[in-house]
Amino acid sequence: MMQPELTPAAFLLLAFLAALFAYDVTRRRRSGRLVWLQLVVFLVGGVLIVLPEIARRLAHLVGIGRGVDFVIYPVVIWLVRESLLGRRRRHEEEERLTELVRAIAIERARVHGTTRAP
Amino acid sequence: MRIAVLMPAFDEGERLARTLVDLATEARAHAIVVFVVDDGSRTPIDPPVTPGLSVVLARHPVNLGQGAAIETARRLALDPRWGEHDAWVTMDSDGQHRAEDALRLAAAVADGSADVALGDRFAGASNVPASRRLVLWLARLFERATTGLVLSDAHNGLRAFGPRAIGQMRLRQNRMAHATELTQRISQAEGALRVVELPVSVRYSAETLAKGQSASGAVAILVDLFQAFLFADAKEKPR
Repeated sequence: MMQPELTPAAFLLLAFLAALFAYDVTRRRRSGRLVWLQLVVFLVGGVLIVLPEIARRLAHLVGIGRGVDFVIYPVVIWLVRESLLGRRRRHEEEERLTELVRAIAIERARVHGTTRAP
Repeated sequence: MRIAVLMPAFDEGERLARTLVDLATEARAHAIVVFVVDDGSRTPIDPPVTPGLSVVLARHPVNLGQGAAIETARRLALDPRWGEHDAWVTMDSDGQHRAEDALRLAAAVADGSADVALGDRFAGASNVPASRRLVLWLARLFERATTGLVLSDAHNGLRAFGPRAIGQMRLRQNRMAHATELTQRISQAEGALRVVELPVSVRYSAETLAKGQSASGAVAILVDLFQAFLFADAKEKPR
């Protein structure tokens, strides 16, 4: 039977997760499905915080030394991927905005006080 | 000569007016259309009427950057409703570039001896500050390594393009990386473009230096270029 490890750090992390969830539910008014998904992710995170032995055993199972690495490796990979995808989205949105702004500018272009026809 | 001047402008007033007057004075014998693109200035640009000069004014509703403004001017200038041209010249609106230099570059492409004429400020009587010299030297090395083009002055904003070149100079870099992108376009153009560099004088003042690029801007340029490299669109076509 695994024993919960209720260290001060565990309490702080659990409080942080609970506060974040409460803030998102009350202030950001997310859709119901997203709230449920967030709740599941936070619950899994909470269980791994209170029972780190789970992560340790899973890590050993796949040949990783520490339980925390078992959690961190996929999270880092996912964050890097999200960062690149987010940057690409911003790049594409900037290109679309540029074309829109340019189309407006060209459409509204006018001869300015000319004394010679172009 | 029928010359289209592509002129991006941001928060320019008096200096733009002086630049237009210089152009009108120098270019009496030529048909010049200046395509001024106001890149979302805080107060919309409204230059005084300049006798002897045709000015087409376009305005970006939001600020995009110098590269985007030059591209807007290029597309405007290629629109047949504004007439035909023998040469297309990019020129700053802040008075750094001299009208007589712009005309010399335009003549080099209009008479067919070159497709692209680039201004070389180091060969002319320019007062280039030491810090700017160093950054430009590094830029030349970078462009020599990435494009194979051996240029004396890689990032001079005073350039002229002939009919064979201008259609291939589509810019996708909105900000200052457009200068490097132009060099890439020249080196990758269909049918080898004939490139010449001609001496020009660039007039730096405390005012234009304060508004211009800082050395740290070089880092931003590298980031923009790397991003373009990462997200390059394989379907890209010239417009």
